[in-house]
Amino acid sequence: MKYLLFIGADGLPAPEDLAVLQRECPGWVEEMDGRGVRLIGRELELPETAATVRVRDGETLVTDGPFAETKEFVAGFDLLECADLDEAIEVAAKHPSSWFQAIEIRPFMDGLGLGDEAERFARGDDSRGAPYCLMMCVDGIPAAPAVEEAIRRDGQTWWRDLETRGLQVFGHPLQHKDTATTVRVRDGETLLSDGPFIETKEFIGGIAVINCAGREQAIEIAAVHPLARHHMIEVRPFWSE
Amino acid sequence: MTTPAVQRALDAAFREEWGRVVATMIRRTGDWDLAEECAQEAFAEALRRWPVDGPPRRPGAWLTTVAGNRAIDRLRRGARGAELLEQAGREAPQSDMDEEAMSELFDETDEIQDDRLRLIFTCCHPALPLEGRVALTVRSLAGLTTSEIARAFLLPEATMAKRLTRTKAKIVAAGIPYRVPPAHLLPERTAGVLAVLYLMFNEGYSASSGTELIRAGLCDEAIRLTRALQQLMPDEPEATGALALMLLHHSRRHARVGGGGELITLEEQDRGGWDEEEIQEGLRLLESALRRRRVGPYQLQAAIAACHARADSAADTDWREIAGLYALLEGQMPSPVVRLNRAVAVAMAGDIEAGLAIIDELSGDARLERYYLLDATRADLLRRRGDQVAAAAAYERALPLAPSEVERRYLLGRLKEVKTADRHHKAL
Repeated sequence: MKYLLFIGADGLPAPEDLAVLQRECPGWVEEMDGRGVRLIGRELELPETAATVRVRDGETLVTDGPFAETKEFVAGFDLLECADLDEAIEVAAKHPSSWFQAIEIRPFMDGLGLGDEAERFARGDDSRGAPYCLMMCVDGIPAAPAVEEAIRRDGQTWWRDLETRGLQVFGHPLQHKDTATTVRVRDGETLLSDGPFIETKEFIGGIAVINCAGREQAIEIAAVHPLARHHMIEVRPFWSE
Repeated sequence: MTTPAVQRALDAAFREEWGRVVATMIRRTGDWDLAEECAQEAFAEALRRWPVDGPPRRPGAWLTTVAGNRAIDRLRRGARGAELLEQAGREAPQSDMDEEAMSELFDETDEIQDDRLRLIFTCCHPALPLEGRVALTVRSLAGLTTSEIARAFLLPEATMAKRLTRTKAKIVAAGIPYRVPPAHLLPERTAGVLAVLYLMFNEGYSASSGTELIRAGLCDEAIRLTRALQQLMPDEPEATGALALMLLHHSRRHARVGGGGELITLEEQDRGGWDEEEIQEGLRLLESALRRRRVGPYQLQAAIAACHARADSAADTDWREIAGLYALLEGQMPSPVVRLNRAVAVAMAGDIEAGLAIIDELSGDARLERYYLLDATRADLLRRRGDQVAAAAAYERALPLAPSEVERRYLLGRLKEVKTADRHHKAL
C-alpha cells in the first residue's frame, strides 16, 4: 500500500532538536531507501513562502501562508510503499521528526502511478523547472454531492492537461482524513492518535507536485483547479540548497 | 418446536461461537460487513433448522460452514468473488464461478490459531479511536447489536452506527493488518487489548440507572472475552491478572448496590452477598499469574482486590499489605488516582496523618482539579479522625463535582452524618 507521511511541525525546531534532525535524518533516508519502503521524500520551504488560493465569484483570492491558521504546518513529506499500517508506523516512528514533533500517516486512494518525472523529482533533479507542491485542502463542509463529483471529474481533466503541458510530476487523492494516524515518539514510546496532526476543520484531501517557472505560474495553475472554487489549495515551493 | 434444550444450545452457540464465526469469515473474505451479515444469516438458519433437526454435534463448525456457504452465494453474485479468486492465485473465471476453486477457497483447513485472537487485536489496534475500539470489540466479538451497544453506552443508535462504520472503514482503508502482532509488538498491543476489555468491564460495572441490565451484560461479555484471551495466551500473566481482577470486582456486584439503587461502600457491604465462586476462581487465577514472576498493573490491582476478598470483615483487612501493593502499582503506573488510593490505604493501616499528608500534596495536581474523590476521600479521613467540621467542609466541596446522582446521594448522606455527629459532640 502507498502512504504519504506528512512531516509535521509546530514552529521551527529548537537548536538542539535541529542538531538531532541533521544528524539522524540521513541514516533514516538511507535505511528506508535501502529497504525499498521510501519512494520519494522532499522537504518543503518554510510556511511563510506558502500561498493559499481560493476562487470565489470568478475572482482569484490569494492569501499568504498555509491553509490552516494554526501554528502547526506541513514541513515536508515522504511517500512510502509499505505492507500495512504497522510497517508505516514503524517507519514513521524511526524518523527523528516524530521524536519532537508529529508525523501523520495518510493512505493514498488506489491507483497512484509514479513515472519518470516523479523519479527525477525524487532524485532531486529540478532541471525541468521549479517543483511546487499543491495541497488540495478541503473545507470541513463538503459541497453538494453533484458538485463534489464535478470537482473530481474536472480535476482529472486538469491533471491530464498538466501532463500534456509537461508540468506534471505526480499527484493523487488521499483517503479521507478519518483514516489518518498521527505518530509521536516520547520517552522511547510510540504514541498513536487517530486523525490528522493539524486538528482544524480543513484537511488535505490530496497532493499534486508540478514543475513550473515560478510562484506566479503555480498560483495560476492552482486557480484553475475546480477545487479552488469551492475549497482551497495551498501552494508551496520545495526547499532547495 | 423450540424445546428448552434447543434454546439452550442456540443461546450457548451464540455466546460461544459468534466471535469465532465472524473472525473466520473476516479472514476468509477480508470484508467486515460481509462477515457480519453471513454470521447473522448462519444464526438465523440455526434458529430455523435446529428445532427441526436437533442441534448439530459441533455447532461452531456447522455455523461456520453455513456462513461460508452464504458468503459464496453472495460473492458469486458480485464482482468481489472474482477478485478473491484472483488473490488466491487463480484466473478469474469468465462467467460461471468456478465451483471447485470457490469451495477450495472456503474449505481450507482452519489454522491452528484461533481467528478470534486476530479479530481482537485488530479491533483494539492503537491507530483506531479508543471509543471505536471498544464498540467494535463489543459488536464483532460479543455480538451485541448496534442498538444494544448504543443503549449500553447511553448514545443515540445513529451515533453508534456511525462510530462502528467509521472504525471498520479505517481498518480497511488505512491497511490495518488482520493478524496477531509479531513478538516485538505483542507486549504493548496485549496491554492495549486488556485496556479495552477492562474499559468495557468498567462501563458495565459503573452502571447505575435505567439500562442496568444491558450495561451489566457488558461485564459478563468483558469477562468472557478476557477469559478467551487468557486461554489463548496462557503465558501472558497480565491477561490472567486482568481476568482475576474482573472476577474479584464482579463478585461484589450484588452487595455494592442497595435496594434503593444507592452505592454501598466496601466497608459497609454485606460480605455474605459476595459471590464465593468468583472469588475462589479470581484468587486461583491471581496465584497462577503471580507464579510467573512478571508482575504488571493488572496483577497488582487484582492482588489489592484479593486482599479485600480474603478479609472476613472490613476490620480484618490487611491495609498494610494494600498500601505496599499501591506503592508497587504507583511505580509501574504513576498516576494521581493511584496515589490517592495509596493515601487511603496508608490511613486505614493506622496512619491517618500520613494519608492526609499525601492528599494535601495531591491538592496541587491540576489533573485532580475536578475530581470529586479527592475531597470526598479527604472528608472521609477527616471524619475518621473525628474532625467533623473540616469533614463537612470537604464533603461540601466534593458535592458539586460528583458525576452522578448515586454519588451525590452518598455524599449528602455522609454530610448529614458528620453534621449530626458534630451537634452531638457540642451537646455533650
